[in-house]
Amino acid sequence: MDFTFTEDQLLFQNTVRDFLAGEVTPQRIRASWEMESGRDPALWRQLNELGLVGMTVPEEFGGLGMNELDFVLIAQECGYVALPEPLVHTAMVAVPLLRQLGGELAATWLPRIAAGESIVIVGLEQNLLVEDAHMADLLILQRGDSWFAFTPEQVELRRNESVDRSRRLFAVTPNKKGSDPLLKGSEPFFVSTARPVGAGELLESTLNRGALACAAQALGLAQRMVDMAVAYSCDREQFGKPIGSFQAVKHLLANVAVRLEFARAPVQRAAYSVANGEPQASRAVSHAKLLACEAAGLAAKNSIQVHGAMGYTWEVDLHIFMKKAWALSNTWGDAAVHKARIADYIFSEGAELGAGATFMQIA
Amino acid sequence: MKLSFSAEDERFRAEVADWMVANLCGEFEGIRNRGGPGDEHSCVEERKSWERKLHEGGWTGLGWPREYGGRGASIEQQVIFNEEYARAGGPGRMGHIGETLTGPTLIAFGTEEQKQRYLPGILRGEDLWCQGYSEPGAGSDLANVKTRARFDAAGKQWLISGQKVWTSLAHESRYCFVIARTDPGSVGHKGLGFFLLAMDQPGIAVRPIEQITGTCEFNEVFFDEAACAENDIVGAPGEGWQVAMGLLGFERGVSTLGQQMLFQNEFDEVLRIARENGAGADPAIRQRIADAHVGLRIMRFNSMRMLSGGGDDGSLSREAMIYKLYWATWHRNLGKLAMDVLGAESEILDGAPYALNRLQSLYLFTRADTIYGGTNQIQRNLIAERALGMPREPRG
Repeated sequence: MDFTFTEDQLLFQNTVRDFLAGEVTPQRIRASWEMESGRDPALWRQLNELGLVGMTVPEEFGGLGMNELDFVLIAQECGYVALPEPLVHTAMVAVPLLRQLGGELAATWLPRIAAGESIVIVGLEQNLLVEDAHMADLLILQRGDSWFAFTPEQVELRRNESVDRSRRLFAVTPNKKGSDPLLKGSEPFFVSTARPVGAGELLESTLNRGALACAAQALGLAQRMVDMAVAYSCDREQFGKPIGSFQAVKHLLANVAVRLEFARAPVQRAAYSVANGEPQASRAVSHAKLLACEAAGLAAKNSIQVHGAMGYTWEVDLHIFMKKAWALSNTWGDAAVHKARIADYIFSEGAELGAGATFMQIA
Repeated sequence: MKLSFSAEDERFRAEVADWMVANLCGEFEGIRNRGGPGDEHSCVEERKSWERKLHEGGWTGLGWPREYGGRGASIEQQVIFNEEYARAGGPGRMGHIGETLTGPTLIAFGTEEQKQRYLPGILRGEDLWCQGYSEPGAGSDLANVKTRARFDAAGKQWLISGQKVWTSLAHESRYCFVIARTDPGSVGHKGLGFFLLAMDQPGIAVRPIEQITGTCEFNEVFFDEAACAENDIVGAPGEGWQVAMGLLGFERGVSTLGQQMLFQNEFDEVLRIARENGAGADPAIRQRIADAHVGLRIMRFNSMRMLSGGGDDGSLSREAMIYKLYWATWHRNLGKLAMDVLGAESEILDGAPYALNRLQSLYLFTRADTIYGGTNQIQRNLIAERALGMPREPRG
């Protein structure tokens, strides 16, 4: 049993944190809201130069050959700055799905991702809309038991606004130009992949990785909101003292800190579980997403409260993080979905519960 | 125990309901349910006309004494009016600051001349008012106002300089009441004055503040030697705090009770969606909906209890003290519940640019409920210190 990260992992996290703090500022995010695409190709190139885009791509395809556990700290940092670019999605959802599918699809697209040339976006039916579909060179979509791969010219995109102005959401409908071999029509394409993967397994593992990506970012978002509120509470004076000196105010943030710290280990546990393909990954992920998103929700609520009326102005940056936390908590499975997955397990026959199962490892 | 309204009150209720049905139609059809919290920027001209319509119906100055043109209605009837108004989908009031704050304050503290000059315009629904209390450095610590009032003996007027913030309707209002420091060396509650200012003058500039909803319901107001006639100070110079606090008593009094009907409307919508989209099948959501329903009933019963025990003097401040904390927290929770009921749909807007639907707006605006008019933290301090007699928090 070892919950610690390696020195390399922590060192890399620090490097990425410094880079993101310098580059992905609230001003830059606000500027991106005014751009049609909302995305910055120059920033993507920089992220690629740092090795982040291809981090989870196997080395044989030009990546760093790392896994979801290696990336989970990076995802937290992306959350901390509310990074609009689809980096976490690429490393934690799209690349692992391609790895899982294998075959020609993986051999074609993984090297392009690692080279920073292509972006692959994955959309599940339950997400209703597909984030960053406009950036995709390849879209992999699940509908029922079928999975489809589309190139941009094969689909029509209709944009929907999100409460989080950084998010670009699209309804995706296939058009008539379905001649590309990647388009399988109603035929699920996983039959042509290198190893047979069941549609159910594909859906579950993809949902897990998407939810884990949300959970990791939610930790970063929560930390950011607490940091902002702490700074404000030290700075803002009423009754001749910093408002942070009043118990009623400091306890608001102490409550968030407790919730946040208790969410970290479950997220790390879930990342381990996903990276190692453990059978209990689903409930580990559900546990992680629930706790991390609850922490971020409480951080949003209490940080606004600490900021007073300033907290609900557009001018103060807090809402950038608060709205992303809101969106992430309801996508890739909302609280009801994830609570139901845990409850279903607990009430299932032969569920391994109790102290003896706490550190259960599957050989 | 008094668990129902009198027959006379029920007749009054029917009268209000009938009037609303007969009048909130035609040119006013489009403003039904509009202009509430988070939507205060909408349908401004129509809602101004509606204020005059209310006056024609005799529904302005409901609780004011008859001698000042009011209806002299009992607290019960004021509650009933507010309930029926909300039930019918009456639009957010634009004249409410004048009617529920300026009017009662002038009636209690103003000179006869001030009453004659300002009350009729409020009653007619023509003169809208805004409130100049909070400042960048005076929020929870309201007594820390820095805005200055200097008496210009030659011009026989007060000159007001400084800045107010979170001022609703400043850009629509004809008048503003302002607390400002008349005694330059004073601190805290002492040395303040309560002033009535015309907004349309060179010394006043209004800048809207954009909210997290992307709309502007509040403003900053800058005063640069803004003029206030000698006889437009309410109370004596240096005694403005007493007037200001008296006014806050009105703010936290009867005028807040009718909002429960709005809460009921919002709750009903959340419940309807939960039934339609299947969220209501989730046990956790079901329980929260039940909790919200219970909370609504608690607020309702508590109002009825207040009415049973209270006199007709409008002094509900003790009960109001616990009520603000309760309703603000309940309402903020309702906003979160609404989003959780919507689930994955909750982040999707109606359209560009940033067109929030009613529940998204509710969610975002209820973040403010636990802040404006005294934060939850300040409310708890008040309850602990004033109601329970606990020692004051060390300050300063």
